[in-house]
Amino acid sequence: MRRSVVSVFLSLCLIVGFTLTVNAAEKPIVIGAPLSTAFLYGWDAERGIKLAVEEINAAGGVAVGGKKRLFSVEVIDTRDLEPQVPVSEALLGVEKLILEKKADFLIGGPVRSEAALAAMDLLNKYKKVSIVTTGVLTPAYTKKVEDNYAKYKYCFRNTSHVGVMIGEFAVLFDDLKKSQGFNQAYIMVQDVAHARGGGEAMKKTLTERGWTVGDMKVYPTGTTDYSVGLTDAAKKNSQVLFLWMDMPESAILLKQWSDMKSKALPMGFVNAAEQPGFWKASGGRTEYLLVNLVNAGNSPSKTTPWTMKFCDAYKKKWGLEPEGYGTSSSYMAVYQLKAAIEKANSVDSDAVVKGLEDIDIMGVYGRMRFDKKSHEIIPSLDPKEGAVTSIIQWQAGKRVQVFPPKAADGKILYPPWAK
Amino acid sequence: MRRKERIDRGIKVRTEGIYAISSWREILYLVGPRALLILGLLALPLILELAPYWKRVINIMCVYAMLALAFDFLANYVGLVCLGGAFFIGAGGYFTAIFNVYVGLPFYLTIPLAGICGAVFCTVLLLPCLPLRGVYFAIVTLMYPLLATRVVEAFDILGGTNGITGVDAFPNAYLESYAIIFLVLFFLFAMRRFVNQDIGLVLRGVKDNDQSVRASGINVTYMKALAVFVAAFVGCLGGAYLAHLYMWAGLSLFALDFSIIPIAAVVIGGGGTLVGALIGTLILVPLSEFLRFFGTFRIVIYCAALTAFIVFKSEGLMVYAQRKYHQFERWAKV
Amino acid sequence: MEVLVYGIINSVILSLYALGFTLVYSISRLPNFAHGALYVTCGYLVFVLTNSIGLPYPAAAVVGIAATALIGAVIYRFILIRIRGMEISEIIATYAVGLAILEGLRWGGLRGMTFVLPTFYPGSVTLFDVSIDIQRLIIVAIGIMTFAGLYLFTHFSRIGLALRGIAQDERAAMMLGIDSDMTAVVSLAIGSGLAGFAAILVLPLGNIVVEAGYTVLIFAIAVCIIGGLGSWSGAIISSFIIGFAQILTEKFLSSHFTMLVAVLAIIVTLLLKPSGLFGKQKELEERV
Repeated sequence: MRRSVVSVFLSLCLIVGFTLTVNAAEKPIVIGAPLSTAFLYGWDAERGIKLAVEEINAAGGVAVGGKKRLFSVEVIDTRDLEPQVPVSEALLGVEKLILEKKADFLIGGPVRSEAALAAMDLLNKYKKVSIVTTGVLTPAYTKKVEDNYAKYKYCFRNTSHVGVMIGEFAVLFDDLKKSQGFNQAYIMVQDVAHARGGGEAMKKTLTERGWTVGDMKVYPTGTTDYSVGLTDAAKKNSQVLFLWMDMPESAILLKQWSDMKSKALPMGFVNAAEQPGFWKASGGRTEYLLVNLVNAGNSPSKTTPWTMKFCDAYKKKWGLEPEGYGTSSSYMAVYQLKAAIEKANSVDSDAVVKGLEDIDIMGVYGRMRFDKKSHEIIPSLDPKEGAVTSIIQWQAGKRVQVFPPKAADGKILYPPWAK
Repeated sequence: MRRKERIDRGIKVRTEGIYAISSWREILYLVGPRALLILGLLALPLILELAPYWKRVINIMCVYAMLALAFDFLANYVGLVCLGGAFFIGAGGYFTAIFNVYVGLPFYLTIPLAGICGAVFCTVLLLPCLPLRGVYFAIVTLMYPLLATRVVEAFDILGGTNGITGVDAFPNAYLESYAIIFLVLFFLFAMRRFVNQDIGLVLRGVKDNDQSVRASGINVTYMKALAVFVAAFVGCLGGAYLAHLYMWAGLSLFALDFSIIPIAAVVIGGGGTLVGALIGTLILVPLSEFLRFFGTFRIVIYCAALTAFIVFKSEGLMVYAQRKYHQFERWAKV
Repeated sequence: MEVLVYGIINSVILSLYALGFTLVYSISRLPNFAHGALYVTCGYLVFVLTNSIGLPYPAAAVVGIAATALIGAVIYRFILIRIRGMEISEIIATYAVGLAILEGLRWGGLRGMTFVLPTFYPGSVTLFDVSIDIQRLIIVAIGIMTFAGLYLFTHFSRIGLALRGIAQDERAAMMLGIDSDMTAVVSLAIGSGLAGFAAILVLPLGNIVVEAGYTVLIFAIAVCIIGGLGSWSGAIISSFIIGFAQILTEKFLSSHFTMLVAVLAIIVTLLLKPSGLFGKQKELEERV
């Protein structure tokens, strides 16, 4: 009898001691990443997030509540960039991350504006903080937060949007007008909401600034021939061709531009031209194309001291230069989250919301602060003041940052046949 | 020489007509599978409290089940193969969003209203296609959701590519799950009754030989329109529910996925038995969720499964199961 | 002027897309919804052969087309042969196979926009005051030769005549000893080969992406339905109609509506004249 009591007591001690030691290893903070991993705007974010998590974990993790906790990443393929997939798939993916994978925070997507807007209500329902870092170019996202702060305060975005990009393009256009005397433009956009919005806004801005816009052509997804538009632009002596497309057929447009020896300087937002492998793929015919990379750091440049460190680390881990506009923003989002958690000293969603609103760090693409009302990252043309958008030009196979002037690595070159 | 012979089971024969209630065994034989289905479905949300994510999967599964029911009804009881189930979902979803956001009605009014309005809308638009037969009807209905997407996109109406957000959610999680389960079960049994009425017989006649139906003086196009209205009603209710579930209605309600999965479900589950549609979605949708781990590869897997079923076992699971349940096979001497 | 030139170029491209599909449908009454998938597969195969394995381009092109034809034949022999005659099942099965191939390619690595096939001859010329790149001129030239070649093949060679025989009256042809299944395998192989051939010609204009598969399929269906399922000349003429309709819409209306034209054309044709412009009238078979 006594021996059995002693043995029961001993085993109880063992169990208690065991659970205590098990609890001593901290639970990692789970970052959920709902992304369209089969597309550039999905895997760019995935790679950025994984690189950042690796770096932070190697340095010990996040300091919260007196202990250090590591980050762990759960990526789910939402397929939302595939044309025939319903948004409910993406929303199911987000819910899977929250309910099953027990994600504490969401970084990255959903990538498609439609899906991201629809996910905002879900985030409010489950009270999870989310930082959108790729895709979602529509200004409507942060406008919704501003209009209804109480409901949507968990939603943040640290990547630029159409409104800001148009402003920066306008500055670039002014430079061109001053330095080259250009004043004829032609606009070609894709038939999706963000591209059409961008095109309309650009048309308005240009006309206000004294440019003549030859025409604005809206091409539905799947158009394989742009000859009519290019010939029209040539007839109207357009000097700048403004593009906004992310469909694969934009490669056809760029090749036709080169083959037809169009005299207009092409610039804009072109998904196809963001990858370093695109140069080889187009046989060098995309020289002189100016591409807006939305956030600096998505191609090597000297915007801030961190930019080249990030590019080198990325190249070391993944074997090529950063590509796609969500890379630097996703990388920074993890660091911003770390800073916010450490500032709030808690992983509670409301506290982290306050933390994110208060942080102010010097990141890969400039000074990174969130606007307190709309939760959009504060943009600027000066890396010391805010987040910088980079516009690069393909020169001799390399992406050279030519804008903003305070962070430019090179000057704009013009095609020899356009003289 | 031997040949295989199929004979009704004794118990099946004993349950014909009034003798079905002659003893508990007969009653159980008839009621058993149906009770299993109903009780099983009703119990699912309770069982899945342990895994709340799967409750959401069941909701989506039921929406697909509504579509699959509509497809099965149209294809196997009326002879109209409608590859455009997404059109019904889109119409129902958009009508609900309009009623809820622009007019301000609460969800228990918008869903039935959207069902009826959506059904009328779909029937009117499909009216010109009804005289077509066979593969032509299939191709036209496949094109309808694609056209609808392009039209909404090109004319930028109804929220354009951003969609209409801010649709009310269901006030209660249980209401959410049980509403759709009740709808599915109700329509399953209602359709079964419907096809056994006189109207149902006429529709089945249209499927078998529409020239002779026409020769009997019945307006075939009117009958087909009625059938499309019923199927569209079921589909639009599903779409309306989906809009409230995700608090949003947009372009991707017309996605091709909504057309393909019900077809796959009917093929796998067994065409011609309305239950087969339900069983098919019960298998396909959770399977596709399990396989999410594989990313895009899961589409390959379930396309391969679909092809395998069409080619090798095109009768489907339910037909096979029913045959086994009601009949047995034996070798007989010739 | 450029409307005329580019209209012709685009129409020839459309008809190249549709030729394989028409061939298979008019001969075997088999709507091959895996057409787009075969198109992309050939492009990707040639890319892999030239880049990863290092074959010279002409050899890779030939191997690619042959492989695609083989895949087509295999699809028929093992899958479609069992569901011959059941139209809806054929559509669903071929669509499922096509979808499986496309998504499988996407999973296997066909992502992003860096996959391209080299053009046959770089550069451009100026003809009639319009600047055209040489690749497009080559496409038109080879396209016209292909039409001529197919015409000669089906009218003067044994296999071609056998194919036409099966298309006209299956039973009579079988009575003469032409095997229906063998013919179907051959026609599907040639159809897939044509899809691959179109891929090699047209893909250098842009890049190889999975979405191209879906677009090609829609265009092929549009061309065949408008031209009449079952008629060669109908397919070529209707591709010119669609090509010019698209370019005229772009020039005079707005580029907005060019894709709408294709889908609307399908629906309108099916509602008014389901057998298409040149199809053989089978009134009772197609509408009540």
